[in-house]
Amino acid sequence: MTQRLKEVDVVVIGVGMVGSMVAKELAAAGYKVVGLERGQTRFTVPEFQSPAIHDELRFDVRKALMQDNTREAITFRNQSSQTALPIRRWESFLPGTGLGGSMVHWNGQTYRFHANDFQLATRTRERYGKNFLDPDVTIQDWGVTYGELEPYYDRFEYLLGTSGKAGNIKGRIQAGGDPHESPRSREYPTPPQKEHFQGAMFRKAASSLGYHPFPQPSSNLSRPYTNPEGMKLNACVFCGFCERYACEHYAKSVPQTIILPVLLANPNFELRTGCQVQRINLDSTKKHATGVTYIDAVGREFEQPASLVITASFALNNVRMLLLSGVGAPYDPATGQGVVGRNYAYQTMSSVASFFDEDVIINPFMASGASGTLINDFAGDNFDHAGLGFIGGAFIGAVNTNGRPIQYHPVPPGTPNWGKGWKKAVVKHYNHSVMFSLHGSSVAQKQNYLDLDPTYRDAWGQPLLRMTFDFPQNDLKMAAHVTSKAVEIGKAMGAKQVDGSPRKAPYTVTQYQTTHNTGGTVMGDNPKTSVVNRYLQSWDVPNVFVIGASNYPQNASWNPTCTLGALTYWAIDALKNKYLKNPGQLVSA
Amino acid sequence: MNPRSRRCAGLLSSSLLIAVMPAPAPTQAQAQAAATTSPAGAAAAAPPCEACHGAHGEGMAAAHVPRLAGQSADYLLKQLNDFAQGTRDNPIMRNFAKALSEKQRIEFAARYAAMSAPFTAQTTSLDEVQLARGHQLAFQGSEVKRVQACDSCHGPDGVGVDFAAPYLAGQSAEYLASAIKAFQQGTRKNDAGELMRSMAQGLDEADIAAVTGYYATQGSATH
Repeated sequence: MTQRLKEVDVVVIGVGMVGSMVAKELAAAGYKVVGLERGQTRFTVPEFQSPAIHDELRFDVRKALMQDNTREAITFRNQSSQTALPIRRWESFLPGTGLGGSMVHWNGQTYRFHANDFQLATRTRERYGKNFLDPDVTIQDWGVTYGELEPYYDRFEYLLGTSGKAGNIKGRIQAGGDPHESPRSREYPTPPQKEHFQGAMFRKAASSLGYHPFPQPSSNLSRPYTNPEGMKLNACVFCGFCERYACEHYAKSVPQTIILPVLLANPNFELRTGCQVQRINLDSTKKHATGVTYIDAVGREFEQPASLVITASFALNNVRMLLLSGVGAPYDPATGQGVVGRNYAYQTMSSVASFFDEDVIINPFMASGASGTLINDFAGDNFDHAGLGFIGGAFIGAVNTNGRPIQYHPVPPGTPNWGKGWKKAVVKHYNHSVMFSLHGSSVAQKQNYLDLDPTYRDAWGQPLLRMTFDFPQNDLKMAAHVTSKAVEIGKAMGAKQVDGSPRKAPYTVTQYQTTHNTGGTVMGDNPKTSVVNRYLQSWDVPNVFVIGASNYPQNASWNPTCTLGALTYWAIDALKNKYLKNPGQLVSA
Repeated sequence: MNPRSRRCAGLLSSSLLIAVMPAPAPTQAQAQAAATTSPAGAAAAAPPCEACHGAHGEGMAAAHVPRLAGQSADYLLKQLNDFAQGTRDNPIMRNFAKALSEKQRIEFAARYAAMSAPFTAQTTSLDEVQLARGHQLAFQGSEVKRVQACDSCHGPDGVGVDFAAPYLAGQSAEYLASAIKAFQQGTRKNDAGELMRSMAQGLDEADIAAVTGYYATQGSATH
């Protein structure tokens, strides 16, 4: 028996980064907002305090902060000819759950995408010609430009207090920053974090090869900071427990430290945790949402009517919510028709390990999640791709985030996988190795998509999301090219052995790569190739907004969070100043 | 309170040097000692430190002089260097530290780090509720005040973390309180990342009394 609750103005599905930001703004504007979070309430004190939060077995190996896949998994296959099976243990990517969402366990790497990325299809055609790409590649423009998003990027970075060095302020190149970046309106809110030793080695080597090293923009802050919401953050202490963990120091920018207390203090907002949203409800026309139906922690079913529904959950769950609700036509790879689940993309991660003599002391454990040094010389379209047969690229960086004892043990190829020989090699190399990350872009292509699994269901009886994905040839070529450049940097650092590992197919979900899952509810200016318009409003159901990295038509060479923050403020602006003043479709198709 | 026998500093998170010594007004005796002691000779044999910090590094609680016995050598050395360079201001310690060579500072720091002084019975005027609040701040912190657990940096049960943070357990409440207030008022600024200044901002008089009183009673099992 479903209990019907009193209607509110706005219901937000998922109270993570996006949900907190949207709810805060709309509640402050006077709207009654309900936030539905499937996980638990949690704060810096007491939940994130050490030593408990530094339990590597619990958080790193057993993934304590992640979506409970005994109740809600995702099925996976490489190709549509295969049968997908549920991912029983997260490895490749780590969707979070609970108040604050996946941002709680992020590394704090806070990059902007470049102007080129937002018009990728157009710019690629202009620079390399019409037939440069594999016909299966389905890259497209975003429907919004970097110039339009810049003020929102700026606002998001100042919400976080991001520590970095500008490379381009209003067109003027700044010494010490990234000269390749698109112009920003002002300097970062706080200066870069301290550079660790391997970062300094990388800087020297990369400079000697003519590249342009710069400090990683970090939302683990270099100094105390008070953001525009009045929230005070502390300086990071380089404990090396960022990704997969929560920060005990109030030093990492996450909803709990940047905005949630402000939101929770507003009586217009009500947080409900332990609430599993089953679907967005539509009226008989299927063009108007009436609210959502959810099941609470003790199994009671509720209908929450609302004038406006905002889906703000993790990218993959946004896609699933639309599929479960019948909002937008599901993508069919056989015909290329339909949009929901289309253009699922990822991140093409490669690595290079450099092994040094024992007199080179690295101390890898002294790091934050974003205290590295990197170059963008081979990222995005910052180099000429003519004759290379691919688009995109990767940042290359000494951006290692930790030296945690269970998971961090670099050894050269040929080392036994276990036993005495392995242990000996770990001891020998632990403190004398540098691992580069090559953080590569990911093109969308026809064969990669998300839909509902025909067989497997979650604990509430709903179909699981099914992922069909393998690495496009474009990205494998990119990985090989960029890895060869990174190997040269390792050699220039003076390593006695350099081992490059370009990403290879097939994609596997049993090895950690990154949690940068994108696409599936793509934004754009054409309803035939996008789920939401440029303001992240559903083309089909105008009182549904979908906000997440699921909006990205394809993924760029950098971590997606900062761009998502910018898009969120962009959408908030449209909601407050356009939609809510005059509800209806904001863009005519 | 639980018996405290763990000393697992290596588990701890932070790699910063947090300074926790106060700049109290010098007593008459201290001022005289500073004026009359010959630093060069003192470093060689009978250190002037004893006059205030005690023969075994036990400190002098009433005068807000910290206990040094068993304190992290890295921490002590940083304080001596900061006194000498003026980045930590204390009129007494400035003179002593300045008179020491770099080598002597290292030796002094190492000497006190190696000392083991008995804990005198710690009495406290705090009631059970105040001690419980002190324990809460030490072990858990306060979300309302946005203050993390002291133990997050200072080690489980405040035993300190070599290379990173001084012990608090067994330190005198008077000294700890004056240190926190110095950070709070910004008269002490030699904390890495302004971390202690940030933390101290969140604590009021009652919380400072509670947490410092709590740590003062926690020494016997840890050092």
